[in-house]
Amino acid sequence: MSVPLSVAPLDTGRVPATHALARMGRAIRSNRKATAGTVLIVFFILVALFPGVIARDNPSLDAYKPKLGLSAAHLLGTTAYGQDMFAQLVWGTRNVMIIAFTVGLATTAIAVLIGVAAAYLGGLWDASLNVLTDVLLVIPLFPLLIVIAAYARNGGTLVLILVITATSWSYTARQLRSQALTLRSRDFLEAARVRGERKLYVIVMEVIPTMTSLIVASFLTNALYAVLFASSLQFIGLGDPNTVSWGTMLYWAQNNAALQTGQPLWAIAPGACIAALGAAFALLNYAFDEIGNPALRPVRRSKRVRSA
Amino acid sequence: MRRLTRYGVIITAGLLATAACSSSSPSSTSTSTSGGTTGASGTLVIDNENGALWTCGFNPFNGSDTLVSVGFVYEPLVYVNPLQSGATTPMLATSWSWGAGNKSLVFNIRQGVKFTDGTPLTAADVAYTFNLIKKYPALDLTGVWSVLSSVTQTGPFQVTMNFSTEAVPWFYYIADQTPIVPMHIWSTIANPVAYPDSHPVGTGPYMVSPCTPANITYKANPHFWQPGEPHIATLKYPAFLSNNTANDDLANGQAQWGAQYIPGIQQFYLSKSPNFHYWFPPVLNVSLVPNLTNPLLSNVKVRQAMAYAINRPQVSSIGESGYEPAANQAGIVTPTYSSWLDSSLMGQYANYTFDPAKAKQLLAQAGYHLGSNGIMVNSAGKQLAFTVINIGDYSDWVASMQVIVQDLKAVGIQLTPDNLTNTAFEADLYRGEYQIAYYEQATIGPSPYYELTDWLDSADTAPIGKLAATNMERYINPATDALINSYGATTSVATQHSIIDQLEGVMLSAVPIIPITEGVDWYQYDTGSFSGWPTQGDPYAQPPVWAYPDNEQVLLRLKPIAH
Amino acid sequence: MRFVLRRLGFFALTLWAALTLNFLLPRLMPGNPALAMLAKFHGELTPQSLKALEILFGVQTHASLASQYVSYLHQMVTFNFGISLTQYPATVSSVVGSAIWWTLGLVGLTTVLAFVLGTGLGIVAAWRRGGWLDSLLPPVFVIASAVPYFWVAMVLVLVFGISLHWLPYVGGFNVITDTPAFSPGFIGDVLSHAILPAFSLLITTIGTWILTMRNTMITTLAEDYVRMARAKGLPGRRIMLDYAARNAILPNLTGFAMSLGFVVSGAILIEYVFNYPGVGFQLLQAVEGEDYPLMQALFLLITLAVLVAILIADVATALLDPRTRAAR
Repeated sequence: MSVPLSVAPLDTGRVPATHALARMGRAIRSNRKATAGTVLIVFFILVALFPGVIARDNPSLDAYKPKLGLSAAHLLGTTAYGQDMFAQLVWGTRNVMIIAFTVGLATTAIAVLIGVAAAYLGGLWDASLNVLTDVLLVIPLFPLLIVIAAYARNGGTLVLILVITATSWSYTARQLRSQALTLRSRDFLEAARVRGERKLYVIVMEVIPTMTSLIVASFLTNALYAVLFASSLQFIGLGDPNTVSWGTMLYWAQNNAALQTGQPLWAIAPGACIAALGAAFALLNYAFDEIGNPALRPVRRSKRVRSA
Repeated sequence: MRRLTRYGVIITAGLLATAACSSSSPSSTSTSTSGGTTGASGTLVIDNENGALWTCGFNPFNGSDTLVSVGFVYEPLVYVNPLQSGATTPMLATSWSWGAGNKSLVFNIRQGVKFTDGTPLTAADVAYTFNLIKKYPALDLTGVWSVLSSVTQTGPFQVTMNFSTEAVPWFYYIADQTPIVPMHIWSTIANPVAYPDSHPVGTGPYMVSPCTPANITYKANPHFWQPGEPHIATLKYPAFLSNNTANDDLANGQAQWGAQYIPGIQQFYLSKSPNFHYWFPPVLNVSLVPNLTNPLLSNVKVRQAMAYAINRPQVSSIGESGYEPAANQAGIVTPTYSSWLDSSLMGQYANYTFDPAKAKQLLAQAGYHLGSNGIMVNSAGKQLAFTVINIGDYSDWVASMQVIVQDLKAVGIQLTPDNLTNTAFEADLYRGEYQIAYYEQATIGPSPYYELTDWLDSADTAPIGKLAATNMERYINPATDALINSYGATTSVATQHSIIDQLEGVMLSAVPIIPITEGVDWYQYDTGSFSGWPTQGDPYAQPPVWAYPDNEQVLLRLKPIAH
Repeated sequence: MRFVLRRLGFFALTLWAALTLNFLLPRLMPGNPALAMLAKFHGELTPQSLKALEILFGVQTHASLASQYVSYLHQMVTFNFGISLTQYPATVSSVVGSAIWWTLGLVGLTTVLAFVLGTGLGIVAAWRRGGWLDSLLPPVFVIASAVPYFWVAMVLVLVFGISLHWLPYVGGFNVITDTPAFSPGFIGDVLSHAILPAFSLLITTIGTWILTMRNTMITTLAEDYVRMARAKGLPGRRIMLDYAARNAILPNLTGFAMSLGFVVSGAILIEYVFNYPGVGFQLLQAVEGEDYPLMQALFLLITLAVLVAILIADVATALLDPRTRAAR
């Protein structure tokens, strides 16, 4: 995210993006919650990228004796179909991370687009986008997701991603719009206007970089809810049951009455992973709440030497 | 804050106390409510998940109501046992005989039978019933009037039926599957199709008293024509909304007669009591259905190869948890119809036992060789890669398909599962808009004829794009049709066996479908509370409560165990 | 008053949006899924029921989209939702009617409990800033907000239902031994079946209450008038409750409205795990059985319920907080 900096002679209270990111890095290291969250997320990303390193077995092959308990060969035992549970958990990470990041990024992108556009275009645009956002905010999301997914069954992961993205951008859009509105009156933007920059330039080059922290926070929120919604939909059977994912593991566990037939790990383990990943996103988000505002608030009028 | 916690403790304690008070112990069966003069006692709780509350309608010609009314309140002329190759038990008819050329059938009706309102049953009621469903085709659930031409009362206790075509196998639908209703009540109903029949009057062993949306209670019929029957005074049929609630009540002993799919049945159910048992009688084949109009699948060697490549016992143990045994390529469900199986014929094909080497041989003979991507390809560049449609909601079918996919992959045939919703699947299947499907027919009968006909008779199939409710693979062979028609014309058991043998030959040589596992009836029973259950050693009736009129046979044999 | 009217207007708009979504979705999906469903049930439905369903899903009508829309809205307004296909021949209204009491009971009871307990704990946490409660709560409930609801329910089932056998964990009441009636036995049965589901819902939703309350309390406690009250020497509890909490609660109400969507999601999943026969459970059964009329009606009902709850919260805020009224 390297934004070419235009060298303005006066510091009008604007914080360049690279500066903001460097500050973020320092803040993460110093805040315990943020560190914990980052470590967890990095761990999951690594597992998603290199699952074969950790789990040798093929997760979908019904290769072993069913319902085996914990052992050195099967760290979590086997499912009722003879699949290695640990392998499923490890390989399933990939599907979950893909959903989390894709939906997170896409939703945030839409939210930024709509939130900032509404704030800057003003007038009828603002009013109509506002109404759209508010309506979507108020309609209960999960039931809507269920209905859409029910009509679009058998679509697999891609449909899940599309459906969740299409419906969950409203909360963060609203937040972004609020912040964009408060920024509208800042001096550095006034300066840009006076300079004669086009509105689009102002939005893309000046406003959005300043909102970095909120955008990152939005991404984390959206990723968190993507994971929860997607695994919930897979759990109730609206995903593709043949994909290897934590949510589909839960679906199969539920269908086989895992809790009542002495295979509690089949249900508990994937749920714990979802909780852990979700917690990672939530911790990071919470930490951002704490450090974001004071550290990244536009600096008061004072001459400062900017590092290149 | 402390005040709140104190209240919290009191409230929680109160709730737990009420919970303890109302948590019921497994229902005792010795609530002696005697029925009439029969000395009936005990309460049997039925456990069959229907997924909805009861509508309290008991119209025996309404597909949604049949399972709670026929067998309990209404009876047929004859009981025909599909599990014993059609062994018959006279019910409302005492005897019957086929006329010349098997185109007429005479029933002698039992005397001394009364409806629950005291009116005696006569042949008039029987004739009326059949003519009623002729007049209102929506009531003709089994389509008997497609083969009947007339039904008339030819005596106070005699009915004669004339056929428009030879249809001996239809005896099952006419005599066993048609409930007899009282003429004096039904002739007054303006619209019998919509008639709810909330207070049904029949000749059966039970009466409805009362019905609520959550539970149907049946009481023994004191006027029932079999002396000393039924032995159980009260039946309860709760409305379960989900499988979990139904399974749970079986496992804790509150219900005794189950018709449930229970995953992990050993830990879930059997381990809870030494009196808990199950028996899953196999009844129909679950098969891979290739679309025979597909140019690659129309090659019989490809289909034969597939039949050799699939490890059926493995599909059964992994996909179906061993509940459904492996099927055989002859399409004869065993052990139910074992007496019909021609083992020597099966032997000619090595029983189609799992043999990947042979499968590859056959594919080579068909002109295929292994491509660089691991998929068999022929000289024209066509790959053996197909999509197979499956019902996504049937998790055991989805799991079975995973095993099948693995097995076929090992011989170079690629199958990509497409899990559809129920209706989407049926739409594609019936229209022939699929490459391969995974399916189980619904028709059961007293011999393999009924299922095999559904797969092999070209009279019921349809061109691609049109609906075919049977023979969806579009198998068309006039010789096979002739065989099937000749079965319909004979009552000779020897001839019937010979025809079935030839049909098995068709299945083995032409491989129009590939049976994989044998679909079963789910059935659980509690021997601590009642005796007389149908078992594998004594299959006197189909065991599930929803199978009518077999359920009546079970109800008549069950006796409460005195404690 | 103008504020209330504006909100009402907004909700009417949202309701219309939900109705229109319901109308458009089946028609937008490739190969109208309702088409196959109706073909399957064609023979069993009466002509009136069939017509009603055709209007709902736009099947086999030669009418234009606009006139279909008008007929559809007319049906909705007269509460004609058609016949349930999985629970044929029950009408959708009857199925919904029997299910709604269970959800209202569960969600209503739990929300009240969550509000009381959550606000209480939040107040205490903020009052004793830096105490063990305050430092423990935020991270615990941050994590709790990320835990999937159904997982909490499953853990409770495993521990209290299956392992310890303390409480029933399937269904709303014992179908075999109890008939719905106003008897102490039945009510006791219902309560015992409600404990675990209510507890799961409570655990997952209480976090928001506590945190919001704590945060607003912290802000309120920094206000001048609180400092004044302390200077005056008023007893601590009185400051906490009468001065700070009363003012801090208001934003909580708006927060409640925002989080209601998540309470609803939680309730749906929890009803699924416990097979609790409420609206959420019926929705998922309808989805599984492709019972689109029932599914649509339940979705509309849930949306309506959420809207009503938010409206009530907004009106309550307006009534309690003069600032809102003045600002609008």
